[in-house]
Amino acid sequence: MDEKNFTPEESLLIISKTIEETRKKIQENGHIIILWGSLIFTVILSQYILELLGLHKKFDIAWTCILFLPGAIYTFFYTWRKSRKNNIPKTILGTIVGAMGWLFGLNGFVLAAIFGDHIGNALAPVLLILLAITTIVIGLSIKFKPLIIGGIVLNLLAIGTFLVNPAYHGFSLMFGAMIGLIIPGILLNIAKKRGNV
Amino acid sequence: MFSDLDPILHSQLRLSIVSILMTVEETSFSFIKDTTKAAAGNVSIQINKLQEAGYITVKKTFKNNYPNTTVSLTEKGRNAFEEYVKNLQKYIHPQK
Repeated sequence: MDEKNFTPEESLLIISKTIEETRKKIQENGHIIILWGSLIFTVILSQYILELLGLHKKFDIAWTCILFLPGAIYTFFYTWRKSRKNNIPKTILGTIVGAMGWLFGLNGFVLAAIFGDHIGNALAPVLLILLAITTIVIGLSIKFKPLIIGGIVLNLLAIGTFLVNPAYHGFSLMFGAMIGLIIPGILLNIAKKRGNV
Repeated sequence: MFSDLDPILHSQLRLSIVSILMTVEETSFSFIKDTTKAAAGNVSIQINKLQEAGYITVKKTFKNNYPNTTVSLTEKGRNAFEEYVKNLQKYIHPQK
């Protein structure tokens, strides 16, 4: 870039192009969102299968830990490596998105694994409300409509789940994982490839 | 010609650097170099000029035994950029 005397129009063009270029480089992708949606779906589905086999009580928490713990470790190293390898700068947006994800994960895990008996039949709706808040905030932060819509549907689903027989709460969670995480995550990946986010 | 425009910011590379820093909290020297596609020496000179003007702060540390330069915008730099954009708009839309 030379230091020639350029016009105000050219100045504005430099500003908008640079900001756009920077935004493209720091965008989130849907990889982690799809991963967690799939993990929640798999854990709930497998718990139904374990219940059918009469092994539910024995493996409930252990099975959840087996899948979620490696998921958490993978997420930590994936985001750490990605920011190091791609030289991603620190942004307020990135901090918000990361904090929301980790706060949901940790609180959800503590509620399900430690206070599951205290919270009883309200566990699934409460988890769905937490997930809805996380999804909506992340969607609004990255200005991605499918995540915002997914989050709103999750919130409505959470309220509806209070009215459903607790035996079917697992289906609400699986449906929630599908519409709130997996589908928006896939759409986010497609949009990123097309450069629309 | 454009007397109201801040001469520190009215340089293509310095303007690009400040535009990047308006988007992120802080970033590395190499991210600026990659995004602007400018030569390292030129980026370094312009970063020094912005630092001397008090528009940015530069932190030099070591990361995995390699030197790591981190750059962030100061309040003065942010205000100067906002003022620069306001003045640009006056040139582009003089009736407003």
